[in-house]
Amino acid sequence: MDVLCDFVLPCACAFVGCLGFSVLFNIRGGGIWICAFGGMLGWLCYLLAVPLGSDIAQSFAAAVAVSLYAEIMARIRRCPVTAYLLVALFPLVPGGGIYYSMEHAMNGETAQFLHTLLHTLGLAGALAVGVLTVASLVRLWMSVRKKLPRRR
Amino acid sequence: MELDYDALLSLSAELGFRLMESGAEIYRVEESIRRLLQAYGVDTGEVFAIPNLVIVSLTDPTGHPVTRVRRIPPHGTDIYLLEKYNALCRDLCREAPPFADAQSRLADIRAGWQTYACPARYLAYFAATAAFAVFFGGTARDALCGGLCGVSIGLCLDFMTRWDANQFFKTVAGGMVSALLALFLTFLGLGEHADRIIIGALMALVPGIAFTNAMRDIMAGDLVSGITKLGEALLIGAAIAIGTSLAMGLARLLGGAL
Repeated sequence: MDVLCDFVLPCACAFVGCLGFSVLFNIRGGGIWICAFGGMLGWLCYLLAVPLGSDIAQSFAAAVAVSLYAEIMARIRRCPVTAYLLVALFPLVPGGGIYYSMEHAMNGETAQFLHTLLHTLGLAGALAVGVLTVASLVRLWMSVRKKLPRRR
Repeated sequence: MELDYDALLSLSAELGFRLMESGAEIYRVEESIRRLLQAYGVDTGEVFAIPNLVIVSLTDPTGHPVTRVRRIPPHGTDIYLLEKYNALCRDLCREAPPFADAQSRLADIRAGWQTYACPARYLAYFAATAAFAVFFGGTARDALCGGLCGVSIGLCLDFMTRWDANQFFKTVAGGMVSALLALFLTFLGLGEHADRIIIGALMALVPGIAFTNAMRDIMAGDLVSGITKLGEALLIGAAIAIGTSLAMGLARLLGGAL
């Protein structure tokens, strides 16, 4: 397949999807575009992280990228980080996993149900760890920066 | 000038209440109130917040403790209000204006509250779910169906919110309505992949916000709130699964009867 189908189309979809969700969370003005761009950036990182080998690792990398982006944008615009993080993470949420585990459960395929469910939880966990890592590091950095000049 | 402790308490509790109601994290609410109290020169203040409660307590110079408790009703996330209240809190901490002035500025934000018009919101539901239907591998016709299912979720949620249905029941109903519509549209031949349409539409219901907020609370050390929200996220996930499986079970029964 070519670049258009593999990269441009999914990223454009992520962009439009996040644009819609930022309207639903009542984000106004320029913030909408920042959120939509964040969602697109996250999915681009997910796609570029294919060499990492597993989609859980890809999710982690993308979550780190999105969190970093949200932290930077929040500092620049002096707004709460959540505003950008909530919407930009949407494309990474394993919506398909929830659906397919439910479908397997409906069909009575217990083994596949458990497999899909655990995989979905793994993806959600990777997302969480990615967000946690960046947020903790930023906090650490902020408190180091706050305390160092005082000691001098 | 003598500081009016009751007015300060009311102001800080009100600000905390408003922040929480627009979807702020626990640590933001607690820290905002703490900073506000310090800005007015009160060091004896204590704050405690969990997702549906804010408690502010302080001791006046005569040693008399005063406390206010605010219960927070079920609420959504409104980034516009969150940004406004956050900016206001920063201004109040810097300027420490008279209380009447601060209260009127709080009220101004509420009065100037704007949401998107109804058509814009349904258009947003349509665009978001249509885009995610394609995102999960659907075709252009799937996108159209996904968008219609997304709008049905929006209508369903708005309708049930008006009748004060709880979050769990709303999600079950939203999942069921959208999955039924998706199966029906696929049955008619308009949609091509029922699964991709449903997944796209379900993105309007997934507990992404509850999950992200839970993570941020746990990271900030607010374990009680974090675990509460994590439980909420898991419940919503289960509700989505129940709603869609109800719809699919129903469709299979009908399919067997036809």
